Amino acid sequence: MNRLIEASNLGKRYGLDWVFRGLEFRLNPGEVVALLGPNGAGKTTLLRVLAGLVRPTQGKLLRQGRVGLLANPPAFHRHFSGEENLRYALRLEGLPIRAEALKAALKAVGLSQRKPVLSYSSGMKKRLAIARIRLLKPDIWLLDEPEAALDAQGRELLEGLVQEARGRNGVVIATHDRGWLSHCDRALDLGALQKADPDRPSSADAARNIG
Amino acid sequence: MRSLWLALRDLTLEFRGRAGILSVVFFLAVMLFILGLAFGPNPQDLQRAAPGVFWVALAFAGSLLASRAFGLEIEDGTLDDLLLTSGSREWIYLGKLAFQLALLLGVGVLLLLITAGLFYLPLGPWPWYLLTLVLGTLGYAAISTFYAGMLARLRGREVLLPLLLFPLVVPVVLSAVRATGDLAGGVPPGEVAGWWQLLVVFDVVYVVASGLLFPYVLEG
Repeated sequence: MNRLIEASNLGKRYGLDWVFRGLEFRLNPGEVVALLGPNGAGKTTLLRVLAGLVRPTQGKLLRQGRVGLLANPPAFHRHFSGEENLRYALRLEGLPIRAEALKAALKAVGLSQRKPVLSYSSGMKKRLAIARIRLLKPDIWLLDEPEAALDAQGRELLEGLVQEARGRNGVVIATHDRGWLSHCDRALDLGALQKADPDRPSSADAARNIG
Repeated sequence: MRSLWLALRDLTLEFRGRAGILSVVFFLAVMLFILGLAFGPNPQDLQRAAPGVFWVALAFAGSLLASRAFGLEIEDGTLDDLLLTSGSREWIYLGKLAFQLALLLGVGVLLLLITAGLFYLPLGPWPWYLLTLVLGTLGYAAISTFYAGMLARLRGREVLLPLLLFPLVVPVVLSAVRATGDLAGGVPPGEVAGWWQLLVVFDVVYVVASGLLFPYVLEG
């Protein structure tokens, strides 16, 4: 089976401080993996390294397939409407645009087509980000604290999104919320990794399987 | 095709936001007014200064516009999404270059008309002015887009950008000034061709080199 992500001895350092090091990470198609840990444990940094946005200081990272990132907070062009943001996201990815699909994607997350993103709340932006990742259909879904700013209905949408991806795509969820563990096949506790001796590459053993 | 969509998206955003383009137009109006007062009122003096005034004003305006290429992404925090699009990143450079070029050409044409009005620049050879404008702005935009991308994530990028940009665009600006000056002085286009050839060489070198290096400078 072809892995979506395979990382070995991965490390990232800012200045003299290691955020993480000696990390082994694999993501298979259809798998949902949680990244756990307190603030500053390196969850977002690891997601950005896995996405290819940040170059790792050490280690080897192989990635196969398109990456979609649900950032926290998600970013959109504020002078565009939700629909225009989605339309350009598809265009720049070189994907076909169907007006009905765009309309349906926005309706599914409870957003109107015409309102500029400038007037969106944080939760509405998160919903728009859910619509975007659904339309772009990446192979690797990286979700950074996806539950932040969402109401109960938004949380349901999000859980639906993860269920949608499960079985087909690989999903990595960086979160404080252990409630996500019931949706995940494995979890990597970066907090435990940090507490272990950072000088020992074997500290990657702190990663544990829960599924 | 993706590059053209990116350029179109950025132009739409720029005109909806208006802040960048309005500040450039205001800057140019003030600059030309001051230079007009400084060189005037003798029409011969103004006409002699016109090519230099035109290109220096466009170069300064260009340094303000250069930061817009990635400023739009930084202001809205969308640079990561752009970098996550599939494929190699040369197309991003070409899209941003097309955006910069469109802005510079638009401002350039406006500036040409104002310079003609204020500085007695004869508009007879206007097709050749346009050719010089296209060749000059392409070389300028090639370098400014590259540096704007390189500095996009840095603090103080607005200060650093002109410092890095101007030394490299001096040959382009000088060639363009000479070509425009010769045309304004009634020199036949055949004799100006040498300057255009020089501009083409700079354009090709800058676009190819910047396009190839661009994916590396964007990495975090």
